[in-house]
Amino acid sequence: MPDTDPPLSIEVDDVTVAYANGHTALRDASFTLGAGTICALVGVNGSGKSTLFKSIMGFLRPVRGRVRIAGLPVEASRKRQLVAYVPQSEDVDWTFPVSVWDVVMMGRYGHMNFMRIPRAEDKRIAHECLERVGMSEFQDRQIGELSGGQKKRVFLARALAQRGRIMLLDEPFTGVDVQTETAIIELLRSLRSEGHIILVSTHNLGSVPEFCDQVVLINRTVLAFGPTEQVFTEDNLSRAFGGVLRHFRFDQSTIQEHDGRTVKLLTDDERPLVFGKDGHLEYTERHGREELVKERAKEAGEQ
Amino acid sequence: MTTLLTPFHYEYMVKAILVSGLIGGVCAFLSCFITLKGWSLMGDALSHAVVPGVSLAWLLGLPFSLGAFVAGVLAALGMGWVRNNSRLREDAVIGVVFTSFFAAGLLMLSLHPSNLNLRTIIFGNILGISDPDIFQVLVISAVSILVLALKWRDLLLYCFDEGHARSLGLNTRFLHFLLLALLSATAVAALQTVGACLVVAMLVTPGATAYLLTDRFGKMLIIATLSGILCSVTGAYVSYFLNGSTGGCIVVLQTLIFLAALVFAPKHGLLVARAQRRAAASATA
Ligand SMILES: Nc1ncnc2c1ncn2[C@@H]1O[C@H](COP(=O)(O)OP(=O)(O)OP(=O)(O)O)[C@@H](O)[C@H]1O
Ligand SMILES: [Mg+2]
Repeated sequence: MPDTDPPLSIEVDDVTVAYANGHTALRDASFTLGAGTICALVGVNGSGKSTLFKSIMGFLRPVRGRVRIAGLPVEASRKRQLVAYVPQSEDVDWTFPVSVWDVVMMGRYGHMNFMRIPRAEDKRIAHECLERVGMSEFQDRQIGELSGGQKKRVFLARALAQRGRIMLLDEPFTGVDVQTETAIIELLRSLRSEGHIILVSTHNLGSVPEFCDQVVLINRTVLAFGPTEQVFTEDNLSRAFGGVLRHFRFDQSTIQEHDGRTVKLLTDDERPLVFGKDGHLEYTERHGREELVKERAKEAGEQ
Repeated sequence: MTTLLTPFHYEYMVKAILVSGLIGGVCAFLSCFITLKGWSLMGDALSHAVVPGVSLAWLLGLPFSLGAFVAGVLAALGMGWVRNNSRLREDAVIGVVFTSFFAAGLLMLSLHPSNLNLRTIIFGNILGISDPDIFQVLVISAVSILVLALKWRDLLLYCFDEGHARSLGLNTRFLHFLLLALLSATAVAALQTVGACLVVAMLVTPGATAYLLTDRFGKMLIIATLSGILCSVTGAYVSYFLNGSTGGCIVVLQTLIFLAALVFAPKHGLLVARAQRRAAASATA
């Protein structure tokens, strides 16, 4: 099927979603994502992140507004294998007699013929995706005989195997170790450079500036949307989280002047989110951000 | 030696053995999906719910498979509808719907006494199966085998992860209906061999046995189908010598194989599990 690929995009237009119990989980949510981006979806529990994912997939029908993917209605985009989705928790029967390999192969179904007989190409891609999430050695395991994090990685591999140019990842890093997270982020970056759109929800605020170039902040509606530098401000975050974030104020802590900038910050799993004097975002690595450092030095010098 | 071959001298026995084997195989193949989807009770319910269809078809002079199939599908849709529109649990819904259908069937049969024997429906009568009935069974089996051979991977994905099937653009509502239709059709076919009471055994036991023996779905299909065919053929054959109910023989055989699997299965069997726990305990001691 020679697809004349439409330009990739996700348009969420004034979407309002209500559940059967009458609860309106999202109201008038709007944002647009263009090709080649990793966008973070950030908000408190119950802010409607999973709801948003489900409406982009077309599993929930908005009572108002519409979602378009590459200019198409969501059903049409699903048929074209444009979107791969990893839900927050897999609603599957873990005792099912399928192996890790079978599950990853299911990601290829959309590309196979009527009888779903895998070709060499499908097998190659499935191998590669298992390799990427570091689960190759488990490929013959029954799917229930894995740890929680390993299960998560298998379903990520399945989504990767789909080769959808849009990926929706609902909290892919919860329960996944640091090493795997780093590997997956690396992978997402390379997908971005190929022009894919990745929308990823996370509670790990510190990692957002590290790999997401755009952010959607939500709390039952879209509070802010745009490039990370502009959206990830203390102001916006306290609006989204209503003061429930943990703080470590250097000026109120026991850290003194003589400690200079040699203070070390360790966290177990979540990366720290650090704001500088003027409330601007601080990054972990100077390397690669020389421009930003220079600019800020200039600003400080001019005052 | 010659006594062992006597059943094959009777045409009705040969037919019974072959037809039982065919139905047993098709039911067993489908049983893998039914057990994994958690529809075992549904199979039981459908096999009883077809009774009013059979009596109605007889009254209208239609082929009785057709009536049974329509009644089965209606019952399945009815169960789906009640479940979606009430807060009852699935087992309660199944209980209510299938007993209503069965009762309606009994009532109809008793009000219009016919040469359609209730015993035949409930206990099956494979030894007396007529040629038109054989033809119906052949058609049902051929269609079911064809559909299953072409679509088993889609059905597997649907049973395993409906959400993912949808996200790939598969028509899950169609797959749901397809599985229900196959279930109804094979239940109708199995009605002939073992009767309404024992249909559920044909539609569940081979799948349950195979599930104990393997962790791969492909192998499960093969094991289930082989055991289904084997039990049906042997059961029908043995019933000649025992002079007992064919359905009873088939299902008892299936149960024996199931029990053997339960105890001796290489990975999930009771014996292996105990041995492994012992080994682990003595290794740590
Ligand atoms: N099936 C449902 N029926 C009714 N209400 C629901 C349902 N699912 C979610 N909700 C409600 O909708 C709101 C948004 O839920 P959603 O799952 O989208 O939150 P979330 O942002 O993904 O939260 P989390 O961070 O915990 O994953 C919540 O208030 C929740 O109670
Ligand atoms: Mg969620």
